[in-house]
Amino acid sequence: MSLYTRLLGDLTGRGLAALAGFVVLLVALPSLVSSYIATVATIVLYLAFLGQAWNLMLGIAGLLSIGHALFVGIGAYASAYLFAIHGVPPLLGVLAGVAIAVAAGALIGYLGFRFAIGGVYFALLTIAFAEFTRIMVDHAKFLGGTEGLFLPVSAASRHGFDLLNLRGSPEMFYYLILALALAALALCRWLLTGRTGYYWRAIRDNPAAAQALGVDVFRYRMYAAMISAGMAAVGGVFYAFFYNNLFPEQVFGIERSIELTLAPIVGGVGTLFGPIFGAFVLTPLGELFTAGVEWLQTSGAIGRHVKVDGVKPLFWGIAVAAIVLLRPRGIWPWICDRLGLVKPPSERS
Amino acid sequence: MELATSRPRRRAVLAGGVAALVAGAAPFNIGRAQGSKLKVGVLLPKSGLQAQIGIDCQRAADLAPALLKSKGFGDMELVLGDTETNPQIARAQAEKLIDQGIHVLTGCFDSGQTLAAAQVCEQKGIPFVVNIAAVPSLTEQGFKTVFRNFPTGPMIATDAFLLQKEMYAATGKAPKTVVLMHVNDTFGTSQADAITKLIDKFDMPYKIVERISYDPAARDLSAEVRKGKGTNAEAVWFISRLNDAILMTREMIKQRWEPMGIISSGPGWYEGQYMQALGKHGDDVVSLVPWYDPNKPMSKALVAAMQKAHAGLTVNTNHAHTFEAMLIIADAYKRAGATDAAKLIAALEKTDIKDNVTVGPGVKFDEKHQNPKTRCSAVQNRGGKNLAIFPAEAAETKPVWPMTPWSKRA
Repeated sequence: MSLYTRLLGDLTGRGLAALAGFVVLLVALPSLVSSYIATVATIVLYLAFLGQAWNLMLGIAGLLSIGHALFVGIGAYASAYLFAIHGVPPLLGVLAGVAIAVAAGALIGYLGFRFAIGGVYFALLTIAFAEFTRIMVDHAKFLGGTEGLFLPVSAASRHGFDLLNLRGSPEMFYYLILALALAALALCRWLLTGRTGYYWRAIRDNPAAAQALGVDVFRYRMYAAMISAGMAAVGGVFYAFFYNNLFPEQVFGIERSIELTLAPIVGGVGTLFGPIFGAFVLTPLGELFTAGVEWLQTSGAIGRHVKVDGVKPLFWGIAVAAIVLLRPRGIWPWICDRLGLVKPPSERS
Repeated sequence: MELATSRPRRRAVLAGGVAALVAGAAPFNIGRAQGSKLKVGVLLPKSGLQAQIGIDCQRAADLAPALLKSKGFGDMELVLGDTETNPQIARAQAEKLIDQGIHVLTGCFDSGQTLAAAQVCEQKGIPFVVNIAAVPSLTEQGFKTVFRNFPTGPMIATDAFLLQKEMYAATGKAPKTVVLMHVNDTFGTSQADAITKLIDKFDMPYKIVERISYDPAARDLSAEVRKGKGTNAEAVWFISRLNDAILMTREMIKQRWEPMGIISSGPGWYEGQYMQALGKHGDDVVSLVPWYDPNKPMSKALVAAMQKAHAGLTVNTNHAHTFEAMLIIADAYKRAGATDAAKLIAALEKTDIKDNVTVGPGVKFDEKHQNPKTRCSAVQNRGGKNLAIFPAEAAETKPVWPMTPWSKRA
């Protein structure tokens, strides 16, 4: 099977056109919109990238992780520490971050799979690891402890384009995360259409049957945990150099873990484009509510004295609940069916 | 048939969607208008975990344009933003406010959110006057456009010792032993670490006999109070939040723990809700916090304006530091005579305000854009009010120390 068939073979002509149009739009976006919209798009792509990593665990391999912020945090802290204290560029720091995250993923995976800790108990195991890592970093003085770890700000970090040291303008970070999100999509698609992907899906749907057919369930689950952890660590490196400051509570907190699960859940768990689509629905939806509330105030529909702070998260929650209730498989599979973007299974090569 | 009708509709929806995207983006591309009013972005956590504090800060920002205009400063227009207590949102909101044409930004109360907004201001060259954020690196990271008039964490810890020494010298009654009780979250742990690290430098009259940490979300603190009482320490030093401060006090009364006094160096104990919940039992607690100098004319004007706008609301550190950030901005605007960012930054660097609100000789920034002389106060709860007792030059009453025993509070 050629690389083209593996990556794009399932798409109809309309699907290919939609994908090409979407990529072109994303590439052109910073020159079309304001820097605010570009920043929102950067956050969307970051969540899409992490959603892809998380989706590999649950959607593809059937392993529920609610502590994925652990791997993001490991990547962030490892690369930021090496850069800020030892001057190691993040292109090398990312290797250290990924290596530690993969080791952590392997440890959690080993404990979970060797001792048959499944389902919600595996989720608790991931939360436990994330929490005790947060507490450890809270007390690790060389990482700044509770007072945080900071990257120095230089002229290059304002307007430059220093890809080696990840110091540059917001546009540089936008194109970096766009490249990472597209690369993650291609990697997941490539994995999914190969032997590993078929094994993962067999394990997800029925581990006992997969084992009976000769699939090494333990080994392939370990692969899923390690690849997902490594990908999340790459996202962490991006986070560290984009925000330039790290606090244990903000990086390893359960809120961050939950945040990165939302895009795949809304977009469609187990689908490749679902996490990307979910991220593109969720974040702009939040911004739309803010704009809506502001419009109500400026148009005089509600007075300036009316306190509307907190309305946005409330409506955002209702919207997410509605999406999950009305489209339990996620929005993306429904859109694919309606628009005919993907070939039916009988026509796939 | 269904297909034939549905295709054009889909295209229309798609075309409409693209048009909406472009139309939605367009307003943000409008150039920055240079009007006669200074547009000040006020970015605060007004929803999420820190919502109450953000709304409190907002009250002072709302008062500033009219009050400062009456003092001879120029016109200011506020453009508001909500960080939702999230650094990612803080960054995006800062971008949005700048796209909406603000000339200067103030906020964000929390260090993480402030740092996220600071990145954007630095990249866009927009001056940023921080209202509240104590993390030292904010003025150590090399930002050129960020100015801070709030004490750093080490400055707050240093003042906590100096103010206690002043109080013990003035009253002639110092404890020989103290138990340190703190919440086990990031804030509580870092503050307790700083105190235990710094205590030897200040030659304090007491020793910290034990450090007891607890969960700020705990529903029952009886065991912690029993443990604290069991140390027989003469005084107790708390680093708390609001709910646990209320629980602690109730439990101390129940267990008849009568220390010489209660010292606090965090939120909770000086807050209005604490005093409302405990009435006379909330009195005499001494909080060591960044505060305002009640004797300064500008403070009196702020207190009067706050009373007029929100009757019964007492001015606190959130109000004082947010208002003072607005004062610094107004002063720079007056001297710069323009809304141009470079001129505002140059004016901010030359800030020298004597008639300010907070404690200390005034507002003057060092080469890192930090005001190194801003100070904290010792504030005592008295009859439902916060009264400044130290430093002597910023005091409004004499201290009650040792505190009145629980049993003798009529």
